Formats: sequence, C-alpha cells, structure tokens
Amino acid sequence: MSIKNTENTITKTETTTLLPEISNVNEEISHESTLYAEPIFHIGNFTVTNSLFTSWIVVFILIIVALVIKIKTKKVPRGIQNLFEIIMEGAEDLCDQVTNSRAITNKAFPIVFTVFVIVLLNNWIGVFPFGGFGLIEMGEHGKMFIPLIRSGTADINGTLPLAVMSVIGANIFGIISIGLWKTINKYVNLNALGSIFTKIRKDPMILMTAPIMFAVGFLELVGEFAKVASLSFRLFGNVFAGEVLLASMGAILAYALPTPFLLLEVLVGVIQAFIFAILTLVYYTIASTDHEEHEESHEKEGKLEVAH
Amino acid sequence: MDSFIETFHIDWKIIIAQVINFAIVLFVLQYLALKPLKKLMAERTERINGGLEDATKNAEILKNTKNEYDTILSNARIEANTIFQEGKKEAESKKAEMMENAKNEVDNMILNGKKVLESEKAKIIEDAKKEIVSLVVLATEKLLESHPNDKSEDKSINQLKNL
Repeated sequence: MSIKNTENTITKTETTTLLPEISNVNEEISHESTLYAEPIFHIGNFTVTNSLFTSWIVVFILIIVALVIKIKTKKVPRGIQNLFEIIMEGAEDLCDQVTNSRAITNKAFPIVFTVFVIVLLNNWIGVFPFGGFGLIEMGEHGKMFIPLIRSGTADINGTLPLAVMSVIGANIFGIISIGLWKTINKYVNLNALGSIFTKIRKDPMILMTAPIMFAVGFLELVGEFAKVASLSFRLFGNVFAGEVLLASMGAILAYALPTPFLLLEVLVGVIQAFIFAILTLVYYTIASTDHEEHEESHEKEGKLEVAH
Repeated sequence: MDSFIETFHIDWKIIIAQVINFAIVLFVLQYLALKPLKKLMAERTERINGGLEDATKNAEILKNTKNEYDTILSNARIEANTIFQEGKKEAESKKAEMMENAKNEVDNMILNGKKVLESEKAKIIEDAKKEIVSLVVLATEKLLESHPNDKSEDKSINQLKNL
C-alpha cells in the first residue's frame, strides 16, 4: 500500500486474505492511495468510480431510511420514530441557534439536513473496513488493488458539487429572502456608487467610502469562490487524510494500530459533516440578512446608547 | 486550471451524477421523512397545546360553575330560611288566631249553655212551682174532704184556691 506521491509500494497482505481467488498468485498486489477516485466499471461512456459507487450506496441507504420513516410514522410515536423525532427536534433547535429565526430554519433545514446526512454517511462508509473488497487490475507497477468502496467525500468530484450547491443555494435563498437587487448589490455595490450623487452634500466623506464599499463588493464575490474552495477542500482533505492515515497505520501494524484511528475517524466524520452543514446554514443565514437594514439598526442602537 | 483538473481527475459527468444524487436524497428525505414527520410533530404539538388550553379552560369553567353552584346553593339556603321563618310566623299567627277563635267559641258555647241552663232552670222552677201548687191544692182538697164542716178550713181552702 502506498501513497502515489511518495511512490512507496507496500504489499497489502490483508487484501489477499480477503480475496481467496488471488491468494494463490505469488505476484505482489499493490494499492495506491490516490488523490482521485479509481474507476471500477463503465456504463457506456460513463465511468463509475468507487466514490460515486459509494455515493449511490449512501443514496440507497437514505431512501430505505426515508421509506422506513414514512411507513413507521404513527401519531403516537414508538421505538425508532422517537429517535427520528429527537434527532429532528435537536437539529432544528441547533439550527435556530445559528439562524435566530425559525422561519429561516424551516426553509434551510431540509437542505442542511440532507447535506449533513449525505456527508456523514459517506464519511462513515469510507472508514468501514469494506475497503478490503475490490478489484485486481493490471497497472503500471503490476497488479493493482482497487477498492470498491471509497468515501464519496474522499473525492473532490464528490465534495465540489456539494460546496457549489451550498453557495449557489445560499445566493438563491438570498434572492428569495431579500430580493435580487439587494443580493446583486452585495457583490456589485451599485447602491454605494449611487449614494455618491445623493449623499455628497450631506456627507462629503462618501467620496472616500463609496468606492471602498464598491471594492468590498468584489471581495465578497471572490469570497463566494473561496467558500466553495474552502468547503470542498476542507472536507476532501480531512476525509482523504483519514483514509490515508488508516491505510498507513494498517500497513505498519494491521488490526491493532488502526483501531484507535478508526474511532478517531468516526468522530472526524461527524465533525466534518457537522462543520459542512453548519457552514452551509451560516451562508444561508448571511444571504437572507439585509446588510443595509442590519447596519441601520446598529446605527440606531448606537444613537440610543449615546442618548442614554 | 488544467493541472488542477488533471491532478484531481475532475469529471463533469461525475459531478452531475453527484448533484443528481443530492437532489434525489433531498427530494426523498423531504417528501418521505422530514415533511411528514414535521407535520406530525406540529400536529401533535398543536394538539398538546390545545389540550392544555382546553384543560385550563375546563378548570376555569369548573371553578366558575362551582362558584355559581355555591352562590345558588347559598341563595337557596337563605331563601329557604326566609320562607321557613315566614311560614313559621304565619303558622304562629294562625295558631294564635285559631286559639283565639276556639276560646271565643268555647266562651260562647259556655255562655249559651249557661243561658240555656238558666232558662231551663227557670222553666223547671216554674214547672215545679206549678206542680207544687197543684199538689198542695190537691193535698188540701183531700184534706178538706176528710173534714167537710170546718168553716175556717173552708176559708183556708178558698184562700188556697185564690192562690
């Protein structure tokens, strides 16, 4: 087992025990932890990678869970319904703490909750020892082991769409909440430029502040791309690093050494899913807040404090 | 950008597939799990709140009813007592009246009795007197018949006859 960059190939002995058909082969089978997801099969021109395959498993599991909830839901809650209700209520209360508004929570909750469960399940399935099941293919350095299961979030193709959807979704939410004009003005601050002509007599300093406000708008626009990058690469980096860590520990001393790290990765999976979901919710909350009104209310509060 | 795409093997098809995955999960979770569960929880919360409100209202109604019942009972007691007192007074006055009437009647009866008795007595005396006179006359006649020549006796007989 090796990391591609270091080009150190370590024989994955435990893999051969899991795959009896190849145990007779004396040839070394190597596995490289690559930055990208490995293709496992093709549907026409479409290449299915192990990350995408894992994502499909996650989708399948979530559909089953949703169906179970739908079937098991009764007016008087029993058994697993209590657990679902506790989770949902707790999650909504947590969202309320971030949004400070039940109305925003109600609108953003389905998306944020979906993001959370998708990321969580992908993270957890990645650390499960299913990675031992896979395909043997001929690579550049001989036979290569390609695991069937790789966390959907351990591939940038999995995290990037989630991040893009979070940021675009937040902006769409902003347009719905505060209107198209105000949302556009966050990035291309035409209001600030316009205020030069309307407020110059009262406040000549507007000549200085308005261009700065306009430039800040562009920074906000750059910030949106930064959000996508930070969300996607944070999740990808953490999950991929966790998988590499587990593989490395397993190569040093199988079974015993990876166990504490496995538990750590379970925790990391929850934390990363939580961070991704909460940041999405924060973006939704920021997008639904009218900064001008916010600033005006702050100014009023400031004046009131001075008056007191 | 190209090196970035090459390094991370960014594949637009896979990205679209992941977007579709997300959309499917969002739709399924929303319409099969979150929405029904939320609706159910909201209904239950509403029902519990309604129940609590009803319980408060019922308690208030019960309290008011009890107060009303106590007031009515108290008024009824007062009214009953008044009626009883009035009845008692009326009964006493009737009793006194009846006693008075009875007394008067008795007095009248006694008076009438006395009158009747007196008239009867007077009549008896009169009758007795007449009887005595006739007896005396009869006796005298018989006595005289036994002594026919006695003048003084004739005189006495005549005097008696004149009586």
